[in-house]
Amino acid sequence: MTLTTRSASTPDVRVMRRPGTATVLRWELTKLAAQARSRAVLLVALIAPIAVVLVLNGQEQPPSDTIYGRHIHTSGYAMPLLMLAFAAQWVLPLLAAVVAGDIFANEDQHGTWKTILTRSVSRSQVFWAKTLTAILFNLTVLIVFAASTIAASALIIGTQPLTGLTGQLIASGTALRLVLAAWATAVAPMIGFTALALLLSVKTRNPSLGVAAPVVLGFVMQLLSSISGIDLFRRFLLTTPFESWHGLFTQHHFYGPLIAGLIVSAGWTVVCLAIAYFSLRRRDITGG
Amino acid sequence: MSEVLAVDAVDLTKTYGPLRAVDRITVQVAQGEVYGILGPNGAGKTTFLRMLFGLIRPDSGTLRVLGRTWPRDGIRALQGVAGFIESPKFYPGLTGRRNLQLLAGLDGGVPAARLDEVLDVVDLGARQRDKVGGYSFGMRQRLGVAASLLRDPRLLVLDEPANGLDPAGIRDMRALVKRLATSGLTVLLSSHDMGEVEQICDDVTIMNTGSVVYHGSITALRERAPQQAHELTTTNDDRAAVLAASRGLEATRIDAGLAVRGAQDEIDALVGDLVADGIALRGLSRRETPLEALFFMLTEASPDTPTRDLLTAGAPR
Repeated sequence: MTLTTRSASTPDVRVMRRPGTATVLRWELTKLAAQARSRAVLLVALIAPIAVVLVLNGQEQPPSDTIYGRHIHTSGYAMPLLMLAFAAQWVLPLLAAVVAGDIFANEDQHGTWKTILTRSVSRSQVFWAKTLTAILFNLTVLIVFAASTIAASALIIGTQPLTGLTGQLIASGTALRLVLAAWATAVAPMIGFTALALLLSVKTRNPSLGVAAPVVLGFVMQLLSSISGIDLFRRFLLTTPFESWHGLFTQHHFYGPLIAGLIVSAGWTVVCLAIAYFSLRRRDITGG
Repeated sequence: MSEVLAVDAVDLTKTYGPLRAVDRITVQVAQGEVYGILGPNGAGKTTFLRMLFGLIRPDSGTLRVLGRTWPRDGIRALQGVAGFIESPKFYPGLTGRRNLQLLAGLDGGVPAARLDEVLDVVDLGARQRDKVGGYSFGMRQRLGVAASLLRDPRLLVLDEPANGLDPAGIRDMRALVKRLATSGLTVLLSSHDMGEVEQICDDVTIMNTGSVVYHGSITALRERAPQQAHELTTTNDDRAAVLAASRGLEATRIDAGLAVRGAQDEIDALVGDLVADGIALRGLSRRETPLEALFFMLTEASPDTPTRDLLTAGAPR
């Protein structure tokens, strides 16, 4: 058995090749890929919409009290919009939080901060690698979820023209483009919820809280948004941008909510990430 | 020996609210040394090591590791440094080898042959494809050493490496550390076990409640250590105490009987006295090594007692 180490008389410390953030990102992605939880989330995002479309399509009474609920039997493009409105209430915040709420707290849970931070990577690199991993994963989940919903709806129900929110008829091709655009509007608040979950993951150091708290906060925001008389406040809630697609389905499109939604989501993202970043940078690693 | 100290900590202080975890400690370790940081639980050893790795920021004082400082050099301060704090942690769902591969990636990567080499050094070659979740505590400790060696360190920091191990694990870990120490590495070993440090280290810093109570060579410490203490149990401990005192031995009552401290030949003679006096000997065992006795004196003394007085009091008479 032999061992190669530096002798005490070695004049200089061996210069280790410090990895770039891309290397740390690959490292995070490798860890994520090894997690059963991440694969399960992707599988649920792929399969669950198909099951929901099948069930709702089989019901004689459509959910008429929800947006586009009454049209689900008449156009395959109504179902993805109904699903988007429903998912925005808690499914998307939950999907956003499953990995993001765990990704920092997991290191606390396993006590592996000291394992990582005694290598050649800085806290900043680790922070950005984890943040990018969570965002990339959540965007992948959103894309899979949207693609599965839209494809299942089109295949099971059909590609009939869609009735707009102001009663106009939207041709099939245009309806598909608008449905895709509607799902695309969920990207910004999805990233906002990812940032919120990342912040909670850093601050709570508890994976369960990191995952559950964004969902609860999403519910609270939904409740607050239903209270009349606080319209200005409502604009700043992270759940409001999930509804910004409504303006795309009127006779004359209005983009104000879309722009406001982008700004609000960006605001939440920047504030949450900034607090999380400085918390991690300044934190004393006394436990994990 | 290089002029640059492996560790040069001066007046380091760290407080948590009212608790002063580390109080103006100075620790200097030359390259090539095998250095012990000794102290009971809560002495501040781990806090000091965490500061060394940049996991905790000191409130005041300076800390140079192989000539580099955290404020000036950032993560480069860890070049040439490796080790683990408390028990090493890994991702339980990944194999031992995969864990090492991932960690090596955070150092820029290493060839597969190097992975094989370090796994062989810690005798984990046969279990490298098993998930870490199924490893014993001792195997994880050894994987921690392997992960450290991957960095090809000049300073290896091991925090209580034998903690939690069974006797065989302790024996293997000590043998491993000794083998590493002979390869030219600077080893900084933290422990609460005087016997362990005595066996492995050349120099030692003893800490108690955040402060340094001794630093110097083991040899110098050994010279100041009190004489060997034995635990003596007889059918008449009161009479045995009188006989011990008549031979100039220091005898104090303890739960199990008497703690008798003095020269070995006087204790041998005391056994003869007891037999001659008709007192049956129920038990005679070594209570603690002289260095252990000194360690307990240093770390169990009142904070108001000056260390130099303790060391003088503990010196051979």
